[in-house]
Amino acid sequence: MIIIKKVGNQSYILENPVNILETASIVGPKEKDGPLHEFFDKCLEDEFWGEKSWEKAESKLVKETMNLAISKSGIPNSNIDFCFAGDLLNQCIASSFGIRDINIPFIGLFGACSTFVESMIVGSSFIDGNVATNVVCSASSHFCSAEKQFRFPLELGNQRPPSSQWTVTGCGVAVLTKQGNGPYITSFTPRKNC
Amino acid sequence: MKPIQSNEDYQKYVDEKTPNSPILKNCFNAFWVGGLICAIGQIIFEYCQIRGIDETNSYTIVSMLLIFTSAFLTTLNIFNKIGKFAGAGSLIPITGFANSIVSPAMEYKSEGYVLGVGAKMFTVAGPVLVYGISTSIIVGLIYILFNTQNLILV
Repeated sequence: MIIIKKVGNQSYILENPVNILETASIVGPKEKDGPLHEFFDKCLEDEFWGEKSWEKAESKLVKETMNLAISKSGIPNSNIDFCFAGDLLNQCIASSFGIRDINIPFIGLFGACSTFVESMIVGSSFIDGNVATNVVCSASSHFCSAEKQFRFPLELGNQRPPSSQWTVTGCGVAVLTKQGNGPYITSFTPRKNC
Repeated sequence: MKPIQSNEDYQKYVDEKTPNSPILKNCFNAFWVGGLICAIGQIIFEYCQIRGIDETNSYTIVSMLLIFTSAFLTTLNIFNKIGKFAGAGSLIPITGFANSIVSPAMEYKSEGYVLGVGAKMFTVAGPVLVYGISTSIIVGLIYILFNTQNLILV
């Protein structure tokens, strides 16, 4: 029997709610000064984090946050079926290099600002469709690597308007499982870009 | 608040909420920092003249010193702070041009010397060079076409 999960034009209700078992986040120094700092697992003092380049620092962010979330969840790496991760860099290098050592099948995503929700949507759909039982979803960005990728070099002497946005230095990871005590993902509505 | 119904309403709402740049303060800072850089250039020029260097060489020395200082301050992470403060005041003189070449060179060094520094060095200054040189060629052509009677090679 085929169960139709689509409601309305673009909303989907999952057959079985997907459980968000555990989350982890590591952020940079500017986020530490913000009002949400007490909710992060770790705040960095330095944007390089002992690495030689911004991209390597972002990879390390992904790796450490991923390890933290997985160890908090208590699920062994071998029982995690997929890793959905994305970032802002070319070919998702921060994520793909960051998860090299944790030995989980990787599906790279790119949704710019929406990457994290995108990874949760794809992850919960995989679980709901019985393709996977446990997945990790992640998104990361780094102010310095994003500036280099999309805007100007950091050393360029230009002025930013007061309303200009500041790309987050940080990484967030969520571990999704088939069963658990919530919170749950029950439905999702992707936006049309119009 | 009345509901936002059209794109224009939304644009109006955004404009209302967006903080404006402090234009007067920025202009003032740009004016005096830019003036200071030009004054430093003039001082160097006058000093060269006093030391008996001819005019063309003096101008070259001024450019060289200003470019070097700007490049050096860029590498020390000081020029971007001056730039943030002074805006066009430090960007429009030759100092800004030096900064726009040195900063990508520093940023892309992590990608290697050929495909990083070599290829990306002119990402900021490149458009200025392309259109600057193109415009000067067009102006030169117009000059030759319409001013052949008293063409003087300077």
